[in-house]
Amino acid sequence: MKFRDFLKDNLITLILIIFALITIEILLMIYSFDILMKIYTPIAILLLYFIGLYISYLKRKTYYNNLLNTLEDLDQKYLIFELVKDPSFSDGKILKYVLEETGKSMLENVNKYKYIQEDYKEYIELWIHEIKMPIATSKMIIENNKTEVTESIDEELNKIENYIEQALFYARSNTVEKDYYIKKANLKEIVNSSILKNKDSLLQNKINIDIHDLEIEVYTDSKWCTFIINQIIQNSIKYSKEEDKKIEIYAKEEKEKVILYIKDNGIGIKKGEITRVFEKGFTGENGRINGRKSTGIGLYLCKKLCDKLGLGLELNSKKDIGTEVKMIFPKGSFMEIKNK
Amino acid sequence: MKKILIVEDDQKLRNELKIYLEKNGYEALTIEKFDNSIQDILDKKADLILLDINLPYLDGEYICKEIRKTSNVPIIMVTSRDSELDELISLNNGADQYVTKPYNLQILLAKIAGLLKRTENTAINQNKIDCREFILNISKSMIEKEEKQIELTKNELKILHFLVLRKGQIVSRDEIINYLWDSESFIDDNTLTVNMTRLRTKLEEIGLKDIIETKRGQGYILK
Repeated sequence: MKFRDFLKDNLITLILIIFALITIEILLMIYSFDILMKIYTPIAILLLYFIGLYISYLKRKTYYNNLLNTLEDLDQKYLIFELVKDPSFSDGKILKYVLEETGKSMLENVNKYKYIQEDYKEYIELWIHEIKMPIATSKMIIENNKTEVTESIDEELNKIENYIEQALFYARSNTVEKDYYIKKANLKEIVNSSILKNKDSLLQNKINIDIHDLEIEVYTDSKWCTFIINQIIQNSIKYSKEEDKKIEIYAKEEKEKVILYIKDNGIGIKKGEITRVFEKGFTGENGRINGRKSTGIGLYLCKKLCDKLGLGLELNSKKDIGTEVKMIFPKGSFMEIKNK
Repeated sequence: MKKILIVEDDQKLRNELKIYLEKNGYEALTIEKFDNSIQDILDKKADLILLDINLPYLDGEYICKEIRKTSNVPIIMVTSRDSELDELISLNNGADQYVTKPYNLQILLAKIAGLLKRTENTAINQNKIDCREFILNISKSMIEKEEKQIELTKNELKILHFLVLRKGQIVSRDEIINYLWDSESFIDDNTLTVNMTRLRTKLEEIGLKDIIETKRGQGYILK
């Protein structure tokens, strides 16, 4: 707040005072007062007026500057109404009242949506657990009555299972609350269970699996990680070439982090599209050819889950050569303390 | 025959699971009513319990805790909930294993077999399998024949073990690969061929020529 601006706001009173002074001067002249009196009166009045004005300016300046600084420092700016101090002047009081009321009403509104979303997520989770029952039963029936037909149905059931799992993690990825559980996990176990989940389609597609150097402990939620790796492997299967298909999975330990590499020799991704693969709904050229039905959700979800878990996720690819996905597990301070 | 008790409220799934377990050489018991489940479960005196978490009247976690107060019977928790936390809670309540629905049946069988073996202490006997012509020493990963013995690699051992388990039956290449994958050796068709050849050479070295026969288009058979 600048004094000039404040003065401008009070221009009318200033003009009125000058107008009053002129009247007083005229009266003084009519009654032929002393010259000293004629000079003293306007100066005194103007001086007092400016002093009063300046005090009032200072009050507002400290108050508003304080408010602006707090706003600047706030991470969630909408919480400013919680931090407004009581002003000593009436227009400030109005501002405080307005901020408080809008803030509260906005919070109520946001909470309403939070609740609706939470409720929906709970429903989705419940539904997913329900739907797993008939799938489990169907799979049992297939196992007890193995024919070519039921085995083909089994393949489709596997697809359904994958889509359901995706929906579950999608619902989980959208909530603010912490939905995961970090503990010590062995990379080899995580990778193995992801591969086993895709056993049928890997074998059917005759994909060579090469895993090595995975005896490393990381701190993460192994269920979430299994899901993420599972999605990446599924992509590798989906976008594989016709011959000599291969997926290589290994890890490297570096100073501050453990990097898990998942490499395939599939059809790769066009150069211009690599930066966009983590965008929601992005399917790219590969997603549209050869009837590969891409939803553009898989990698988007992986990235989102990795962000929540505090893992890095990077993708490099060369058209017709293959794709390499890097999952980066940081070594937290927790681990360092333990090692000491 | 080992008795496995299936505690599952979905009738269809229960029956299919029963058929499946019976096919795989177990005696499967079930309970149909759940209003007095803890006593009913204990009365069955099963060797192993497959316990669903979502049950009417009492939930599986509570039942598990109650059973543990009086019995040491192996318990496998079966559930469709699959977060790390659910798993931890179950294990804290005294369950020995945790399987999520829809389960991989091979893995379920492996877990059942593993638990039964552990509680029975038959592990020592299982380490050596006598196959008349030779002895398969699993813990040392060796084939022994009279004085001679020869070492096997991990994959060779698994292949031979599988063939021994199915002695006299034709085993297809797909079945072998499936078995190897389930025990976390992710080999492909070519690697299997290489491993088979090496295994045969090794068997030949100790005088067991042509003990594994190739059935063209069908698979292998161990005589």
